[in-house]
Amino acid sequence: MDKDILLVEDNPDDVELTRIAFAEAGLDHRLEVVGDGAQALDYLFARGAYAHRAGAKLPAIVLLDLNLPKVDGREVLEAIRADAATHKLPVVVLTTSTEPFDVDASYQLGANSYIRKPVDFERFVWAVKQVGLYWLVLNHAPE
Amino acid sequence: MDGSVNGAGNDTDDATLRAQQAADSAAASSQHALVQGLAHDLRAPLRAIDSFASLLGKQLQQGAVDESSRDYLQRIRDAATRMAGLLDALQELTAAGRATLRDDDVDLSLLAEWIGAEMRDRAPGREARIDVAPGLAARGDEHYLKRMLARLMDNAWVFSALRPEVEIAVEGERVGDVLHLRVRDRGIGFDPRYAERLFEPFGRLHGVDEGAGAGLGLAVAQCIAHRHGGRIHAESQPGEGSVFHVELPVRPRAEPELARGLHAGDRDG
Repeated sequence: MDKDILLVEDNPDDVELTRIAFAEAGLDHRLEVVGDGAQALDYLFARGAYAHRAGAKLPAIVLLDLNLPKVDGREVLEAIRADAATHKLPVVVLTTSTEPFDVDASYQLGANSYIRKPVDFERFVWAVKQVGLYWLVLNHAPE
Repeated sequence: MDGSVNGAGNDTDDATLRAQQAADSAAASSQHALVQGLAHDLRAPLRAIDSFASLLGKQLQQGAVDESSRDYLQRIRDAATRMAGLLDALQELTAAGRATLRDDDVDLSLLAEWIGAEMRDRAPGREARIDVAPGLAARGDEHYLKRMLARLMDNAWVFSALRPEVEIAVEGERVGDVLHLRVRDRGIGFDPRYAERLFEPFGRLHGVDEGAGAGLGLAVAQCIAHRHGGRIHAESQPGEGSVFHVELPVRPRAEPELARGLHAGDRDG
């Protein structure tokens, strides 16, 4: 009984590429996509448009872009870590940002991994595959 | 001004130096944020181009061209267009920040009508109502004030995409020596909690699927308003449209444009 993956990403190309990369990696978890940080928090905390999710399982992992419309990724991460219901949820920052500051700040805020999205497609698939294998296959998440 | 520094000179110099350092460091950090945003927003379409080209290459090699191939090709072309648009917007922003501005009396009503006609021209099939109040005037650089208005009206147009008809109103009134200008739309609006992010470069409040562009248009509008000694802010409720307020200086009534050069000399005479 596999849990979903929550992908927080506003770029439709990156959404499509992440789907393709997951398919190529042989991971068949359902990918739930939200386009901004406010929607991500609504989804996780079953609020607003996602109120019907109250009591539903949290995703197995959150793939979080940092530069997002409305609430940005750093604030999403902070909110996830601040709430008892979600503070153990694995969050992988998957971003185009290469700012050393963003790497430090993300770990400081409690990111489990920080992956820079490569421009090169083969490496992008490889990176997504590694993330998937580690977090969805090898790792035993806290219940 | 000159000759006024005396015994208190060192303190004044220190204060001036500190103010200058603070200004320099603020400028450097906003430039850094701009470059980071730019790098981010150029890498994303580059990744799309490389990735979809690679997928397309595989399909060609396997002779497995299908419906998705056309989609990949379109995504590659769109990514290139986005990069070009981003570079144009960046040039516009830096030009607006550096240009020497003229100080003329500018007919904003005429400019708004003109921009409205251009927008209709670009989308002849679109239902649009653009109402411009007559007599809106400010002082400044006509070329840049037109760019500022165009950015605000483009923004109104783009975020009205989900409405059957675009409705834009450009209106305002003079209060003392300030023009209070408003650009109203009935588009998707924005969440007022994030109002201050609107004018930051790349501080988008909407996704690409909702019409977001390079993320620099309102930064350009703000830069031009500030360089005219003006102010800009926006208010909205989601789903109820937005109002962008711009305050711009107007030439005092007692000071006709031609007499300006004589003004100082006339005082004591």
